[in-house]
Amino acid sequence: MTINAHPELPEFDYIRPATLEEASRFLSDHAGEARPLLGGTDIFVRMRDGFWHDKYLVDVKNLDGTDNLHFHPTAGLTIGAGVNMNRVMTMLEVQQYYPVLAEACRSVASYQLRTRATIVGNLCNASPAGDTIGACMLYDGVLKVHGVDGYRDEPLKTFFLGPGKTVLKPGDIATAIQLPRPPAGSTGTYIKLGRNTWSDLSIVGVTALGSREPASASGYSFHVALASVAPVPLEVPAVHSYLSENNITPEAFIEAARLAQQACNPIDDVRGSARYRKAMVKKLTEKALLITLDRLEGRE
Amino acid sequence: MAQHAITLTINGEWEQVVVPSQMTLLQMLREKLARTGTKNGCMAGECGACTVLLNGEPVNSCMVLAVECDGMHIVTVEGLMQDGVLDPVQHTIIEHGGVQCGFCTPGILISARALIDRNPDPSEDEIREALVGNLCRCTGYLRIVDAVKDAAALSRQAATL
Amino acid sequence: MTIETDISHKIPHPIGDNVPRVDAREKVIGSALFADDLQFGPGLLYARIKRSTLPHAYIKRIDTSRARQLPGVKAVVTGEDYPGLIGLYLQDRYIFCRERVRYVGDPVAGVAAISEEIAEKALDLIEVEYEPLPGVFDPEFGASPEAPVLHPDLGQYEVANFIFPEPGSNISNHFRVRKGDVEAAWVQCDAIVEHKYRSISQSDVQVIAPYVGGGFGCKAGVSMEALAVAIAWKLRGRPVKLRLTREEEFYASFVRQGVVAHFKMGCDKDGRLLAMENKFFWDGGAYTEYGVNITRAAGYSSSGPYDVPNMKTDSYCVYTNHPVGGPMRGFGMPEMHAGLEQCIDELAYAIHMDPVQFRKINCIKTGSTLITGMTMHPTGLTECLVKAAEAIGWGRKDPPSAPNKRRGKGIALMWKAPAMPPNAGSSAKVALNEDGTVTVSVGGQEIGQGSFTIAAQIAAAALGVPVETVRVASPLDTNYSPYEWQTVASRLTWSMGNAVSAAARDARQQILEMVAKAWNEKPEDLDIIDGKVISYRSEESIPLKNIVIYGISLPNNEGWVGGPVLGRGTFMPTYVTGLDAETGQGPRAVVHYTVGAQAVEVEVDTDTGKVEVIRGVAAFDVGKAINPDMVKAQMEGGFVQGLSTALFESLQLKEGILQNPSFVDYRIATSADVPHNIQAIIVETPQDDGPWGARGIGEHAMVPTIPAIANAIYDAIGIRVGAPPYTSEKVYLAMLDAGLIEE
Ligand SMILES: Cc1cc2nc3c(=O)[nH]c(=O)nc-3n(C[C@H](O)[C@H](O)[C@H](O)COP(=O)(O)OP(=O)(O)OC[C@H]3O[C@@H](n4cnc5c(N)ncnc54)[C@H](O)[C@@H]3O)c2cc1C
Ligand code: FES
Ligand code: FES
Repeated sequence: MTINAHPELPEFDYIRPATLEEASRFLSDHAGEARPLLGGTDIFVRMRDGFWHDKYLVDVKNLDGTDNLHFHPTAGLTIGAGVNMNRVMTMLEVQQYYPVLAEACRSVASYQLRTRATIVGNLCNASPAGDTIGACMLYDGVLKVHGVDGYRDEPLKTFFLGPGKTVLKPGDIATAIQLPRPPAGSTGTYIKLGRNTWSDLSIVGVTALGSREPASASGYSFHVALASVAPVPLEVPAVHSYLSENNITPEAFIEAARLAQQACNPIDDVRGSARYRKAMVKKLTEKALLITLDRLEGRE
Repeated sequence: MAQHAITLTINGEWEQVVVPSQMTLLQMLREKLARTGTKNGCMAGECGACTVLLNGEPVNSCMVLAVECDGMHIVTVEGLMQDGVLDPVQHTIIEHGGVQCGFCTPGILISARALIDRNPDPSEDEIREALVGNLCRCTGYLRIVDAVKDAAALSRQAATL
Repeated sequence: MTIETDISHKIPHPIGDNVPRVDAREKVIGSALFADDLQFGPGLLYARIKRSTLPHAYIKRIDTSRARQLPGVKAVVTGEDYPGLIGLYLQDRYIFCRERVRYVGDPVAGVAAISEEIAEKALDLIEVEYEPLPGVFDPEFGASPEAPVLHPDLGQYEVANFIFPEPGSNISNHFRVRKGDVEAAWVQCDAIVEHKYRSISQSDVQVIAPYVGGGFGCKAGVSMEALAVAIAWKLRGRPVKLRLTREEEFYASFVRQGVVAHFKMGCDKDGRLLAMENKFFWDGGAYTEYGVNITRAAGYSSSGPYDVPNMKTDSYCVYTNHPVGGPMRGFGMPEMHAGLEQCIDELAYAIHMDPVQFRKINCIKTGSTLITGMTMHPTGLTECLVKAAEAIGWGRKDPPSAPNKRRGKGIALMWKAPAMPPNAGSSAKVALNEDGTVTVSVGGQEIGQGSFTIAAQIAAAALGVPVETVRVASPLDTNYSPYEWQTVASRLTWSMGNAVSAAARDARQQILEMVAKAWNEKPEDLDIIDGKVISYRSEESIPLKNIVIYGISLPNNEGWVGGPVLGRGTFMPTYVTGLDAETGQGPRAVVHYTVGAQAVEVEVDTDTGKVEVIRGVAAFDVGKAINPDMVKAQMEGGFVQGLSTALFESLQLKEGILQNPSFVDYRIATSADVPHNIQAIIVETPQDDGPWGARGIGEHAMVPTIPAIANAIYDAIGIRVGAPPYTSEKVYLAMLDAGLIEE
């Protein structure tokens, strides 16, 4: 992406540790000059462009079960760090219980890129444009992290600190993303507005997830997350509260979309202006909510 | 600079290669082994000219390290033809006039083969979606899409014989 | 001049047949060698280029000493080593910068080393000290007296005699047309429209590494080749490979010139065009050695394909501190037509006339006097227009596919002549082999356009052999291949085709004379059909096999006649005249014009601004389609390239710095962005000096696409969006600003 891009990748050492312990130790011993490697689709681009200069790439695919993709009827879905997006989106249980995640995966780049790109890589890369992040957040994703002190959980809601910045410390390796089983019948959509029909990065991305919620005043629960319109992937709690408390009408969706618009804070860049982005957040949030409702009601 | 000795098959033949860590699969194929059928169009995962099959699935070979392919099976455009007989995707892309300068063709053929392998009867929209990672500047894509449709039909016929 | 009539009155096989491409098989099995595929062994050295980081600056100091000391570095070159100026029509650039840099990416030094990595490291060790200078980033400003002068030595540069620089300014070519009396004509007009368009911000399309050279423009002329040669020069005896990164290619190879275009045109109440006054400021970039001729081509074609009695044009090529402008599919025509064809629509609307009807009245017809004074050759433009309009269902408004969408149709015409020196020539050889097969040697390149297949077809037809027995010698090699001016300007089918045809006829004549002598017959009574010589008189026949190498033995051991057959053929147009520097007038400005029309149907999403082209029609007059399927493939491919340029592509430059030098953010159309249906219609009005009447079709196919889409968007939403690309954002904000939609 820069005019100084190298013809090839710069020099580094590829490390394949035997265990997660070894990997965490290596990463923490070489803090600042080593990073975990999954599909590499972010890493290789950044290194070739001359932004990243790591001496070591530590391959954490196929380590202690990071290659597992597993659905449990009560515990939900566990996506190992090394599992690529095509595998996730074609899994039947994902299509059935986590359709928004499947839709988000499908919007990423191209089929061949998704053979390498992983969801955990998308999360750890922490780009505000990450297409699968919104779905993982709305499905209440929790990252399983292995650090020098062993395992811990990192909920996504508090995971992102800024563009490319997360709570992870040297030695930390995300081993899986866990998504609890969503409420029965929950569904939604991911609308990605790119310059091309497919394959582009998003100018704006809107994830919506809805379910029936007898406990709420409206009888529904809706959640919305936004991509590419803030320094971090953005969940908009105001949409959830508004649509829980008010009757579900087209006007309520318009108001909810306005709340989403208020919450975002986009910038001008080569892909789009802040003005356009703000306008699109409103349009697409409304549209995503309408689609979600249609799907909930079985109209689609 | 760490070197790694790896073993893998390329178009069915076992190869032993010593590669530095940062060498991509694409570089290994083109620069180290002089298998130049696979093209380098951007080194950034965007153009698809470098697409090959890795254990049966298409990847951008510029986005994979050679060392990551230890023990794996690679198929490149040179491996599509079997015993002198063109693969249906090769045959139909010629028939439909879907080749002009030919630079995108190796990657397109691999993506098309992979699509038909996972979906023997793809719709036109499915074909288009499967090819969005393969840029073509010359043809305008329509003939390629038609060729893939026909190739799928031919492949289904061959499978039922 | 009609050259094929001596062969036969009817068109022989395989002219007009859909012969499969001769280069297809090697391309699908992965054995076709492209430039970067060639192997040179362990002696190969790798070159990299140190480039300017500033758009305009003096070079105070270059220190290469540390780079030279790096182990593995074999040569370092700078502007010191090569004091000579280079350039095609205007010699205005050094191979490596001397004294000053003029764009971000200007080559400052070159390195050759034993690996690309070492060459890269050496670049970092080269120290360059700059003194920044103010830049020029807009061509209209650049042409004004206030602008800093980027090439103070313009007056001393060598220049072709049809290019007119204005030393002391940034204008490197000023092309004028003065026909009739424009001022007097305005008075008679019932409607006048005046518009300023920024037609196309600069854009760049990748020539993808060539099979043996070629692509859509940025490989024309000499650009990166000079760098590699200059480095290799220091390393006699060792091969050096220079490979640009994709990113480098975006800012350091030829890009399409931007243009600011002013159009003024007027007509009477019956819709007859009376006058046009056009002013173009071309953003030539830092060097305009090639770009000056785009300015000229746009100048002499500046009326578009219309009959305009009173014309005034000023086309300026302007130096700026932008990437170097150069040829790119269409050579100025897509840029110019983008504005012009929208203006034509506007003028039609101004007198409440249907745009198709307006075009029918005014478009160029056989015998029209063009704005340069040239008389138009037989042309089927009206037929193209009528057929395109009919195919798109002109006048019928179909309902949109969804309530938030609006539909519209648009149409545009085009014309384009090969832009080249008047005497650009071609040559070819046709050799026969022992087995009766034929080898055609040409100097024109196969760049995907199908020139080798066309050469084989023409040779087969002119000689009388099956096309499967004809091989085109490749790869081309200047040591062995016959002369060809350049593989550009969509001129090969016509020019090289004539040379091939002549060479094949030469070979044929040699064969007929040999057989006539052996059989004691007259050559006129003999023919070659399907690889056999036959006699219409004696009804004897003999296959070409053997006789085309060993000749024929005479009866009774009386000796032999004939011997190896080798035909030669050349072609060069001799009739193109100069044009007056003040008025642009001359009897024959160009060899010919290929003309055509495109029509599109679009849908605009009023929620997002996204424009979808749902249908396309292209109709071009190609004279004679030697290979109709390949002609259609050009029309489709060109349409999509035009669509891509219209909707997605632009180099985003900020103070001379490119913001999107990669496919990540320089988007081009993918398989999912193209309509399901593009109808290609072939019109054939023969060209008097084309092989079987053929004219070129290549670049043309994208020339009218931008305005056709712009006109369709207007039809859909009633808004002129401005400069392409018509991105979702631009269209959306335009609708918002026009009050068509609410946020
Ligand atoms: C051509 C192209 C198109 C793309 N298009 C899209 C798109 O449409 N949408 C989109 O969202 N993204 C896109 N991307 C970006 C990228 O593909 C995704 O972000 C992908 O999900 C990254 O996954 P990965 O496995 O390749 O990650 P990697 O590149 O391996 O890693 C990404 C980051 O996460 C860190 N990391 C990796 N593994 C771990 C771990 N286990 N624990 C902690 N940190 C870790 C790495 O060190 C690195 O910083 C595109 C990239 C390319 C090259
Ligand atoms: S070279 Fe790999 S995608 Fe372009
Ligand atoms: S045929 Fe030229 S890029 Fe596809």
